[in-house]
Amino acid sequence: MSLRFVSGKLLGALGTFAFVIVFNFFLFRVVEGNPVGTLFRGRNLTEAQRAELRHQFGLDGSKLDQFWHYLVQLAHFNLGRSYETNATVISEIGHAAWPTVVLVGVSTLLSTLIGVWMGIVAGWRRGSWRDHGLTSFTMATYAMPDFWLGMLLLIAFAVLLGWFPIGGISDPASTATGFSKLLEEAHYLVLPCATLTVAYLGEYSIVMRSSLVDVKQEDYLVLARAKGLRDALVRRRHAVPNALLPVVTLIAINFGFVLSGAIAVESIYSWPGLGLATYHAIRAPDLPMLQGLFLVFSASVIFFNLLADLAYAYLDPRVRTA
Amino acid sequence: MNRTRTIALAAVSCVAGLTLLAGSGLAAKKATVTLTVGLTQDIDTLNPAVGQLVPDYEVWNLQYATLTRKSAKDFSTIPGLAQSWRSSNHGLTWTYTLRPHLKWSDGVPLTSADVAYTINRARKEQWLNYTAFIGNLTAKAPNPRTVVITSSVPDPRLPGLGDTYIVPMHIYDKISKANLTKYAAQDGVGSGPFTLETYVKGQYWKMKANPGYWQGKPAVDEIVFRVFTNSDAMVFSLQKGELDVIDNPSPASFKDLQKTKGIVAVQGQQGSFDELALNGYNGKPPRSKKFSSPNPALADLRFRQAIAMAIDKQALVSRAYGGIGVAADALSPSADPEWTPKIPASLRYDFDLDKAKKLLDSAGYKDTDGDGIRNLPNGGKDIVLRYLIRSESIYAKPISDFVTAWLKDIGIGTKLSVYSDSQLTVEIGKGAYDMFTWGWTPFVDPDPQLSYFQCDEVAHDASDFTNYYNDASYCDPTYDKLYAQQRVELNHAKRVAIVHQMLTRFYRSAVYDVLEYTPELQAYRTDRFTGWLQQPAKIGPVILTNTSPTYFNLKPIKTSTSGFSAVSVGGIGGVLLLVAALGLLGASRPVQARAAREERSTKPGR
Repeated sequence: MSLRFVSGKLLGALGTFAFVIVFNFFLFRVVEGNPVGTLFRGRNLTEAQRAELRHQFGLDGSKLDQFWHYLVQLAHFNLGRSYETNATVISEIGHAAWPTVVLVGVSTLLSTLIGVWMGIVAGWRRGSWRDHGLTSFTMATYAMPDFWLGMLLLIAFAVLLGWFPIGGISDPASTATGFSKLLEEAHYLVLPCATLTVAYLGEYSIVMRSSLVDVKQEDYLVLARAKGLRDALVRRRHAVPNALLPVVTLIAINFGFVLSGAIAVESIYSWPGLGLATYHAIRAPDLPMLQGLFLVFSASVIFFNLLADLAYAYLDPRVRTA
Repeated sequence: MNRTRTIALAAVSCVAGLTLLAGSGLAAKKATVTLTVGLTQDIDTLNPAVGQLVPDYEVWNLQYATLTRKSAKDFSTIPGLAQSWRSSNHGLTWTYTLRPHLKWSDGVPLTSADVAYTINRARKEQWLNYTAFIGNLTAKAPNPRTVVITSSVPDPRLPGLGDTYIVPMHIYDKISKANLTKYAAQDGVGSGPFTLETYVKGQYWKMKANPGYWQGKPAVDEIVFRVFTNSDAMVFSLQKGELDVIDNPSPASFKDLQKTKGIVAVQGQQGSFDELALNGYNGKPPRSKKFSSPNPALADLRFRQAIAMAIDKQALVSRAYGGIGVAADALSPSADPEWTPKIPASLRYDFDLDKAKKLLDSAGYKDTDGDGIRNLPNGGKDIVLRYLIRSESIYAKPISDFVTAWLKDIGIGTKLSVYSDSQLTVEIGKGAYDMFTWGWTPFVDPDPQLSYFQCDEVAHDASDFTNYYNDASYCDPTYDKLYAQQRVELNHAKRVAIVHQMLTRFYRSAVYDVLEYTPELQAYRTDRFTGWLQQPAKIGPVILTNTSPTYFNLKPIKTSTSGFSAVSVGGIGGVLLLVAALGLLGASRPVQARAAREERSTKPGR
């Protein structure tokens, strides 16, 4: 990979990020609205108290002043304070980030692995009963809305069978520490994670299958077989690596969205992650929080897109020269 | 392939075993009496000076004792930290005597200095949650058990100080004014029946009984408040017995809970109401061109009365609100129903479309162009009212469906548009509306809610449209005069009479059609605790009430364990995993064989 290629991609990513920073500020100020008026409706505040709140929230200068203030803060990695909780946005995001990374990270990993495996099995023997079975299954799960699937799993496994907790990420009554605490938390993870995994594995499976079906037509596979390689070796060494290319892009792009969480599934399982934080911030409305969340989400998408570009170029030499 | 499976098998078995162990380890613990509460909202900060969410108040009510309390029955003032009091100086000065041997939960003595400190500092620094109650008060502590409080104006709320949470001076004194808003107050030092033990953001918080509480140690050892973002899941947890009481189930599941044995479903009334507000701006106070004007017909009392008569509140309750709540007449300015006047039948605007039509006819609003919509007098335009709908309310749209149909029936057109709360606040301030539906939840003292409808509170300075509360744009000098009177009236019966007079007047103006008294939906189990208290008695909710007296009053029915059974969950989970492991073990051999066969096969894929 040439330095020029890498630096070009890097500059592109940085440019996008700079645009996001500016856009992010104005996006939330297009709609006129005064958070102080809404947040403190019916609180019987004096005029002085309301003025003080506007000052605290940084709403008292002109838009340009506020923009400058925002840039200076950002340069210090300060995303401001949440209107609703009064805590710094960074700490609020930090609190919510871990549950989301665990939930969406694990489920993305699982759905990738299982989905790709299913795609390989289905695509390698197109038309077989396995292909039909797997493809129908993945099509069905892919078509299911995740909140609906989540609700079904919750009712079946948590309410009726009682095997898993109904919601949350840990047991308030528990005194477990160390490894047993980890296990307990894993127990809480099962249902939301299973929901997301099942809901999203179809995407990988379908892409992998069709990609593999395409690759199977290629001359180099005929050559590989002509060399006398076993079927499994042909699949593993020649077909799958080439068929994986579009899946790699998909994985990288989807990992970019890991941080933005899964609003529906997080709210069904009362999972206090970033998706829920976004939902609350929109309802409040909590501008600094929304601003911070959008910035973090954009940064993560930009970063993983960059990674996808680079990985793709590494895996497929044709991209580098194009 | 082979090795991966073995590792996976080993891992699953380990997990299964350890889960079982973890489950049995937990089983040994439980002996405490735990009450588990399900809520749909988290707390923001536990700092009583600045917190703003409803669950915050529950924590403060439990953690901070107040000088006087409000009775569960009717909010009347009863002794708290102060065991007695007397007034002097025409009711401007009150001298309270504290109970002996009061202590903070960390062992530090609680004295009159803490009380005086809280009141004086909150007044000086204008603490958000305090100013409305102590803005005019000055406190002195001549000796450790005596507090002397002087009000600069006659204050009918005194001697009641049930909203003023006394904070520990030995902790708050270390926090400067600049840092106060940032202080999260998780110190857990209090003087109430329970104090904060742990708080896990977004998940739960736990409060433990305070053995040094002046009324004695509560029968409940600890309270766990769990936060649910899925109210249906919360209802399931209540039905399964993992929770003892819940707040805010969805209206649909509330109806199921009403039919469930062993569960009491409560429609708790504490003064909240929804209204259909009209834009009653009548030129007072004068304002610039930046403001929008209401439809001219709204300035006519008869026109507004016709609208009031076109609304079938009973039908709204049973159909738009799904049978939940109570049809309303007058505005309720307080959680205490005593302050809400009964509107006599002769003064009420009962639902009567024919009467409404006749009234409009006689007032000169006729459909002159024959399009089904009445016109302004003297060949004026069609009367089409701007009707603003809240996107945040599940009821706003169904209500508008009924209201627009009724208005159409009497020949009044409407133009609907949807706004978020934050946008709607601005539109109301600008006067850019003819009608909208929203609601209020009043305090216990009627003063704040009454103050919102003074002329001063009609938006009139265009530099900030949202700085005002009067969302009916109603201005009536007589109302203002009565408001000023009730504010300083120390005779309770006389004050109630003035308030009733004000609210009847307000009702008659027909600018603010209060549609329904909206309840707080709650449900509790009857198998574990007795002593659930509604505040106010008979009609109020059991939790998230004004002063939260339920918790101290609860007694366990049997020596019950925690509502949240980790044991069964852990145990069953472990068994499940073991079964899975065994299944994998059984399946692994043929799988291996198959894999080996495929490795050897040279048959092309198709």
